[in-house]
Formats: sequence, C-alpha cells, structure tokens
Amino acid sequence: MKRRHIETLLLLAPAVIFLGLAFVAPLARLFSLAFTDEAGMFSTFSTLIDSEVYRRVMVNTFLVAFAVALITVLLAWPVAYILTRLKGFWFAFALYGVLFPFWISVLVRTFSWMILLERNGPLNRFLINIGITDKPLSLLFNDTGVMIGMVHVLLPYAILPLYGAMLRIDQRLLLASDGLGAGLFDTFRRIYFPLCLPGLVGGATFVFLLSLGFFITPALLGGSNAITLSMLIASFINDRLAWSLAAAGSLILLVIVLALLAVTARFLPFGKGVYAR
Amino acid sequence: MRRREFLMSVAATGAMAGLAGSAHAQDRPFTFTSWGGALSNAEKEAFIDPFGTLKGIPVVNTSPTETAKIKAMVQAGKVEWDLVDVGGRTVWQGGKEGFLESLDLARIPNAAKLEKGWVSPFGVATSTGASIIAWSKTAFPEAGPQSWAEFWDVKRFPGARGLYKYFYYNYEAALLAAGVKREEVFPYTTEKADMALGKIKELKPSVSVWWGAGAQPPQLLSTGELALSSAWSGRMLAAEAEGAPVGHTYNDGIAWANWWVIPKGSPNRDLAHEAIDFALAEEQQAKLLTLKTYGPVLGSATAGADAETARILVMAPDNVKNMLILNEEEANKYSYEYEEKWNQLMLG
Repeated sequence: MKRRHIETLLLLAPAVIFLGLAFVAPLARLFSLAFTDEAGMFSTFSTLIDSEVYRRVMVNTFLVAFAVALITVLLAWPVAYILTRLKGFWFAFALYGVLFPFWISVLVRTFSWMILLERNGPLNRFLINIGITDKPLSLLFNDTGVMIGMVHVLLPYAILPLYGAMLRIDQRLLLASDGLGAGLFDTFRRIYFPLCLPGLVGGATFVFLLSLGFFITPALLGGSNAITLSMLIASFINDRLAWSLAAAGSLILLVIVLALLAVTARFLPFGKGVYAR
Repeated sequence: MRRREFLMSVAATGAMAGLAGSAHAQDRPFTFTSWGGALSNAEKEAFIDPFGTLKGIPVVNTSPTETAKIKAMVQAGKVEWDLVDVGGRTVWQGGKEGFLESLDLARIPNAAKLEKGWVSPFGVATSTGASIIAWSKTAFPEAGPQSWAEFWDVKRFPGARGLYKYFYYNYEAALLAAGVKREEVFPYTTEKADMALGKIKELKPSVSVWWGAGAQPPQLLSTGELALSSAWSGRMLAAEAEGAPVGHTYNDGIAWANWWVIPKGSPNRDLAHEAIDFALAEEQQAKLLTLKTYGPVLGSATAGADAETARILVMAPDNVKNMLILNEEEANKYSYEYEEKWNQLMLG
C-alpha cells in the first residue's frame, strides 16, 4: 500500500469504527429482527402489506412529505435570495431570524403554534378584526395545522443550502448574460436558476427526508387522520411490542427512500453536471 | 503500521471500558421508575422515600417508564429497574411475553385487602385515577354532561369534543353511552366492540381532537377550543386548583390504577416485593390523601378523608359506586384485536 493510502485509512478509521459500532451494527441488528417472526421469515412483510392501515399511512406520509418539501422550498427561495443581498447588521439580523428557531425545541414550537392557531387564538381574532372572515377558521387539528407546523420547523433546512448555492454564484456571470443581450427572465432561466439547482435539490431532499420521520408535530397539530409512518412504527414498538413488525416497517421505508434517492440522483447529478448551459 | 495498531488498541480499550462500566449494575441502589409529574411525586413522597428510610437503604426515583425499555432490559440480561409503575396493559403483555417477574403474593399479604380487580399475577395496583367527563365552563356555565349518554348527545350539549386517541377508555365510554349496564361492559366480545366502534363513528364528526397527552384536555377546555372532553382525573384536579374555567364529574368515570411490576431478573426482587407490600399498608395509602392528586387503591384508606378530599378520590364509596372499574386484561385484548379497525376508523 502506498503511504498516502495508509494515511487516508488511518484518518478515516476513528469515524468509520465509530459509525460501524454505533450505527451500522445496531441498524443491521434491528433489520435482522424483521425476519425473526414466529410465523415465518417474511410473515412480517406480508402482515404489513395486507394491512390497509399501513398502506394508507405509507401513502399519506409520502404525500405530506412531498407537499411540505414543495411549500418549504417555495418559501425558502425569496428568503435565501434576500440573505445574499443583505449586508452588515441587517444580514446578521436576518440570519439569526432563520437560525433562531433551531435553538428552540420542536415540542415548544409545536405548542406555541397550538396557542397561535386556536379557534379563539390571536391569528383568528386578527383575521376577524380585519374582516377577512367572520367565523373563526379551523386551523388546528387538521392538515392545515400539520402543514404550518412542519413547514415552520423545516424551513431553515431549505434556506441554508439554497443560500449557500446562491452565494457561490459568480455575479459576473449575470452581468455577462445581461451584456450579451439576455432579458431578466432568460438570465434567470438559463443562468441563475441552474446554478441554484444543487442547493434547491439538496434542501428539498433534506426537508422531504426529515418530513418522512416526523412525529411530534403531526401528533399534536393534526386530526384523527394524521397518523404518520413513524407514529405507526412507534406504536408497534411501545404499545404492541411487535418489534419484528417495527423492524420490517422501518426496512421498507429505508428501501423506498434509497430507491427514491437513486432516482433523483440520476436526474439531478450533484457535483458534476449542473452547470449553466 | 505501528500508528494504526496504536489507534486500533486505543479504540479497543475505549470499547472495553464502556463494557466494564456496565458490569457493576448489581451495585446500584434500589431503583423505582414511574411516569414523572404529579404521579411520580406522590409515589416518591408516600411510598418510595419512606420505604428507603425504613430499610435504611438508598433509593432512586427515575422516570419516564416505558414498556419497550423493560422488555429490552430483560432481553439483554441487564435489568436497571427494580420496581416499575406501568399502565395496566403492560401487566398482561409482560405476563404473556415473560418479561415480568411472577409475583409471590404470599410475600405481599396487604394485597389481600384490595378489590379483586386490582391484583394480578404479574402486577399490583398501588394508586388510582380515572378517565372522566370534563367540560369548559365557558361553554356550559351551569353543568356539563353527567353521563356518557349525555356526552354523546350533541343537541343538548353542542360543541367540539375531545376523546382519547386509542380504543382504550373509548370502548367503555361508547358502550355506557349506548346504554350497556356497567357490569355488562366486560368481558369484551366482538359484538360489543363492534357496537362501540359504531357508536364512536356516530360521534366522530363532533370530535375535533383525539388527544394523546394528559396535558391536552385541560388546556384545550380552558381556552374554549373544546367544549367537552374525556380527561384524566389528576390533570383536571390540577387545572381546577389553578383556577382554570373547567368542570368535571366522576359520574360514569372509568376508574383505572397505576400498576407496579418487577422486571424479570431484577437483582432486588425481594426488596421490590417488600416495597409493594409497604405501599399497600393503610398508613402509606392514607398519605396519598394529603397529596390530592392520585388516590389510594385501598378502599378503607379513604375513610379518614375530609368531605372535600373525598370528592376527588376514586375509591371513596360515593364516587366508586357511580364508576366503572376498567378491566385491564380485557382492555389489553380488545386493544390488540381491534387495533387495525380502530386505525381505519381514525383514518376515516
């Protein structure tokens, strides 16, 4: 072995050993549980696939995650853009505005939303006072509440990668495009947007994956139908004590996520192919 | 290559140290685990700390309790908890799956004084609470519904309702609302469970919150988000003590208990048996009266309560005669067998 290779190996070793012992091994052990049910090696999988509840919860979870990722990215775009334009005090102010929610627990933020969105809460009173509605809107314990809560929690995860991508864009490229006679829209479509794409895809993927595992927010802000996959898996573990079922459910989720990632990675090659054309 | 060997040995030593640290579990003090909050405080004050003083041993009170954790500890052969407060469902699950010690009732003579429903081969009830009907005083300044049948009556008591998010408590409430007699709610049968589901489906359009945390009903009732809800007695008592505009009744309440179990393989199982017996002694049970959250499980211990305290005790004769005692063994059965149907109803 070349000396360089040995050094690389040595530098990687602590992290690899740590991940192997603390993450990969327990994960493998968990997944092996999926095949240990008394009724047969694959019985857990057939139980899940036969369950109408599991199928519907699976579809719901992915739909919610997709919608949240879409809304979050749309909201994150202007914020990230403004962040690249601000300087000095206002930049610090805006950046802390984005980062601040990170330091407050999700539980506290979710309970705060409950107070804000109540039937007699401040938001509804405000809407009634300015005459937008004459009856309080039901913003809680339904999909609206879940969306508001989840988008709020996940927004920084979309803003930061987008901001990073926008910051790296060489402003001279935009000037060049302008100088070569492209209009505002063409410059955006052919120069700015493609250069933002890695940040956009990164942020959206991040938000989508985190949404798939959401638990507290839908449990507290959602209605009776707001059962997510993680709630179902938690109930397999804690209430039913059916760990093989929980393992199988987690394994299916992981496989689907990896498959989705493989597909998106093909269409949107990170690193090498996303340049202005 | 020497550097690599060195790093490897450092990593290996670290791992060994981690393992060695846990081998001394036997030396730990007697450990009691419960739900936290008002209940843990009551148990610490009335039972666990006095027990430690009596035996002259150090005791540790921890929280929160978790069934899956007990199962994992027992499977791993590393039991860190000696005595655990659990919900009734765990007692029967633990008996079936074998992660709880089978209790030697000969060593818990005080258990003989309890109602039959409060003692099982794998756990004994030590304090009581109830799932009761509660309402917002903004919605009903006079009085809210006094029975589950009235709770179901959306004409007489209009407004948004809250119910527990699992079949637990709802099976009993729905059957009582349907006019089934208290003594006929158990044992559970599929006809009764289907009847309960139908009754809940009927009320579902008026139910806006399916609560999962005990803190939710008092909060949602006091802000007026809900007009009426099922709720845990201890939480309502605490909210009313703080002056929240909410009311409740024990009529038609579903009484349940906080169960104590011993994880299988606990090195302190003898002490744990003694602690259970100690907690059931009349003197210890009576200590719960002064704490005014969770009541004694021993009926005779409620005798010393003044009239005001007696009103909040589940086991006070005037209350318990209007209540249904939850049969945890049956509740465990319907919860398990109707989980899919219940979730289907929830997904709507």
